[in-house]
Amino acid sequence: MGHPLYLQPRQESQLAALTEANGFLHMLADGLGTPLNVLLPEQIAENLDRFRAAYQKHHLGGEIFFAHKASRSSALVRQLAATGGCIDVASVEELQHALSCGFAPARISTTGPKDPAFLWLGARAGVTFHVDGRAELEALAALVRTYDLPRVRVLLRLSGFSSTGVRTLLRRSRFGTSFVSVGVLLDTVECVADVVELIGVGYHLDTVSVAEKAVALEGCINVMDECRSRGMRPQVIDIGGGFGVSYLAEAEQWDTYVTELTSAVLGARSPLTWRGHGYGLRSESGKAAGSLGLYPAYRKVAGAEYLDELLGTPAPSLGRPLATLLLENLYDLYTEPGRALADQCGLTLAKVLEVRRAADGDEWFVRLDMNAADCSLEDHGVLMDPLILPSGDQCSSLSEDSSAEPVGVYLFGNLCLESDLITKRLVFLPRLPAPGDLVCFVNTAGYCMDFSAHQAQQRPEARKVAVWQDRDGSWRWSLDERYWPITSSGILWEGAAV
Amino acid sequence: MRYDSITDAIGNTPLLRIAPAVHGLRNIDLYAKLELLNPFGSVKDRAAWNMTRPDLAEAAERGSQIVELSSGNTAKALALIAGLHGLGFKSVTNRMRVPEIKELLLLLGAQIEELPGQTECLDPTNADDPLTQFHRMLSEPGSDYLHTDQYYNERNADAHATGTGPEIVRDLGGRAPDWFIACIGTAGSSSGVARVLRAHNPDVEVVGLVAQKSDFIPGIRNIDEIQEVGLFDPLVYRTIDAVTSDEAIDGMLALVRRSGVLSGPTGGAAYFGALRYLRPVDAQLTQRRTAVFIVCDRIESYLSYIRKRRPELFGGKAERNTVATLSDEEVGAATTIDIETAQQWIAQENPLIVDLRSPFAYAALHIEGSVNIVDELFEELVRGGLPFSKRRPVLLACPVGEKSVKYAAVLTRLGHPDVRSLSGGIVAWRDAGAELVRE
Ligand SMILES: Cc1ncc(COP(=O)(O)O)c(C=O)c1O
Ligand SMILES: Cc1ncc(COP(=O)(O)O)c(C=O)c1O
Repeated sequence: MGHPLYLQPRQESQLAALTEANGFLHMLADGLGTPLNVLLPEQIAENLDRFRAAYQKHHLGGEIFFAHKASRSSALVRQLAATGGCIDVASVEELQHALSCGFAPARISTTGPKDPAFLWLGARAGVTFHVDGRAELEALAALVRTYDLPRVRVLLRLSGFSSTGVRTLLRRSRFGTSFVSVGVLLDTVECVADVVELIGVGYHLDTVSVAEKAVALEGCINVMDECRSRGMRPQVIDIGGGFGVSYLAEAEQWDTYVTELTSAVLGARSPLTWRGHGYGLRSESGKAAGSLGLYPAYRKVAGAEYLDELLGTPAPSLGRPLATLLLENLYDLYTEPGRALADQCGLTLAKVLEVRRAADGDEWFVRLDMNAADCSLEDHGVLMDPLILPSGDQCSSLSEDSSAEPVGVYLFGNLCLESDLITKRLVFLPRLPAPGDLVCFVNTAGYCMDFSAHQAQQRPEARKVAVWQDRDGSWRWSLDERYWPITSSGILWEGAAV
Repeated sequence: MRYDSITDAIGNTPLLRIAPAVHGLRNIDLYAKLELLNPFGSVKDRAAWNMTRPDLAEAAERGSQIVELSSGNTAKALALIAGLHGLGFKSVTNRMRVPEIKELLLLLGAQIEELPGQTECLDPTNADDPLTQFHRMLSEPGSDYLHTDQYYNERNADAHATGTGPEIVRDLGGRAPDWFIACIGTAGSSSGVARVLRAHNPDVEVVGLVAQKSDFIPGIRNIDEIQEVGLFDPLVYRTIDAVTSDEAIDGMLALVRRSGVLSGPTGGAAYFGALRYLRPVDAQLTQRRTAVFIVCDRIESYLSYIRKRRPELFGGKAERNTVATLSDEEVGAATTIDIETAQQWIAQENPLIVDLRSPFAYAALHIEGSVNIVDELFEELVRGGLPFSKRRPVLLACPVGEKSVKYAAVLTRLGHPDVRSLSGGIVAWRDAGAELVRE
């Protein structure tokens, strides 16, 4: 099989403690079936604190909005409501969910395309709107006037920023108003000022590049200045999400894997993927062409640290660090992290149904009790090894089992579809799993748990449970929809015991 | 020597023997091919000139713009060649991470475009990888580019097969060295030189050097990135080794401080990689042997790169009246004043109000009557002594009162009798509802 190429997941303390709790996870999986999504609501509060610390380090005021689209979990959203965080919603359903989880409208913002119902409920409740352009602003103003709603707070979403000197080409966005035509948009803001209050401007850029974001942030500072010169007093710059997560424990495993994958695509080593899939790379007359369509799974700087780095970056033309510019211009900073706040907040379990050897090779096929949409790590380009949790009867013997040898396996789903591959790549495991074992995909809470889940072939969608540890360290659980932040403090349990 | 065009001065660079006392090899003569002495400053002068020469006349007639994916030396050489022939030059890159190089290119008249980074959320339908974008730009209607295509252009390697390689053989008295060591960017220099050396001595061992993955050495690629290079042929190299930026800087320092060669980081990488490879071999040798490595370019453009990795090389500055020299007691003893008291004090005593924020922020909103001296400038000013009369009280203001209290301490140390720092800064001033004006 050759040398195993592991991609071991990064696990912080809560997640690591949970994946150690083999018996507890098997009990949940036996009782509730798999696929099963397990959430750690307390982790999201910890992640939020790290973002807050980055704000404090730079003396910045402002709010952190969790991008709801990253997770549908009620437990996460309710826990966040308990911490004083804010939330960003992108549909009327997400808005209803946020309101029902305890977010006051002042702590909710809305982004993305909006239909009239979404506009009405948001305006009625009094949430903040990110408006994409003039048409949306006018529609919102008309609605507020027609239904005699309270004045709404808006942020203008901008895009198409440009820089001078060295031109930084920015990835094009479908959303937002181009930086160059912002004047016209501001004219509209002035016309609807009776029903709309401009609180600031913002962007969301889908890029890992700090340099691009620095150009955009400086662009926003310039637009804010134009607003001030028109006599408006906006206070907020919203820099969207995209702070990233580091999924892997070790840089070296990631570096080696990518090197080997490139060689495999060029035919210089045994294949690492199903039918020569190249994750975007291909061989063109012996050269690697295309580009690797994968999430950079190991990131030296991600999440709150990435925010810190961005804030410390000098503005491309004004020269001062971006945080200093925000601060000395008296602006508040809004951020909308999705993936980064959901980091380490959950895992996905699936039972092993069948293990068999490939007819024509030394790889193995492992069929799981889930389908590809139940755990969309690969759809999101995240390559990360699952853990194997042995079933109870072999549990004790396994860890010491020295005869266990590394194997390469392909993980398949339970749909009757050729394409139902959980992994398009050969996954190396320290030993061969057996039917009844649990395969555990960790760190799936952000986008990889329920973003794409659907009821294919009438298979039920995965259940969700929230889990936490008691003071004495024993694990507790509740169905996700029945979890409230007071649940974990034990009040409900004690009440029930009386 | 007399020349009619600066391009005539390209090539014929010295082959310098490194003193054995510096490199410590007993049986191997180690030579540096000093490509940094080319007129535009690097090994890439040869490739740039060879790639453009046949097309320049036509390009000048049509008014084409030269375009290349380059992060440094090729761009520099092309910018100068373009200027010589009245053409424009545009460099497109996502690798230009050394600020001085960017600034130098702008100074030379180049246009620089930086390609966007990787997406944060994977979009499987996205066909917009940076190279695809670049090629689309080349074929946009109405555009007229002379694309030199250094990663695929055989004329890049040929420049070295007809220049660098034969020069080395000539300077070694008609013999090829036993080892040849070079860094790999486009692979043009290493593969072109190797071709010539092999013709003279089929046993010559070529050592290719790349940057350690997850590290960065400006001008060269890592082991994955060379797989995308058209001119790269793995069979040219006996081995391909990785060098870290730290090792490259160590090698560079040896060349600079002990051999009088103003080498940049990749020359240092080649020297370091050469010694690492040759030392064990040297210990086994009984006969004299020869090795050659390339010093690609000069040190001056990499100061910030080096400073970032080895700040200690630049020494600490001993300064007197700076914020950094303040003790906690001095800062604690500085006078602060809250917003309400400050407003009364301003009305009664008319202190000089100094706003330490940037001119941009000051212009937008400030306390009426204040003067703006941005903190960086203020730091310079006080270094020389007290910049204000002791007779007039001073109120210092910054965004949150953190910097101003330190400068208040510095002014106090300089003997000013009444400096106060606005507690909570301009943010607190605004939050208290006090007036800010835009003039
Ligand atoms: C407007 C907006 N804000 C925030 C986010 C969250 O991004 P991330 O999860 O990468 O932080 C998204 C993601 O698509 C978005 O579209
Ligand atoms: C500083 C520096 N060193 C080394 C090289 C590598 O040379 P080549 O492109 O011929 O492989 C380059 C090329 O870009 C360079 O700029």
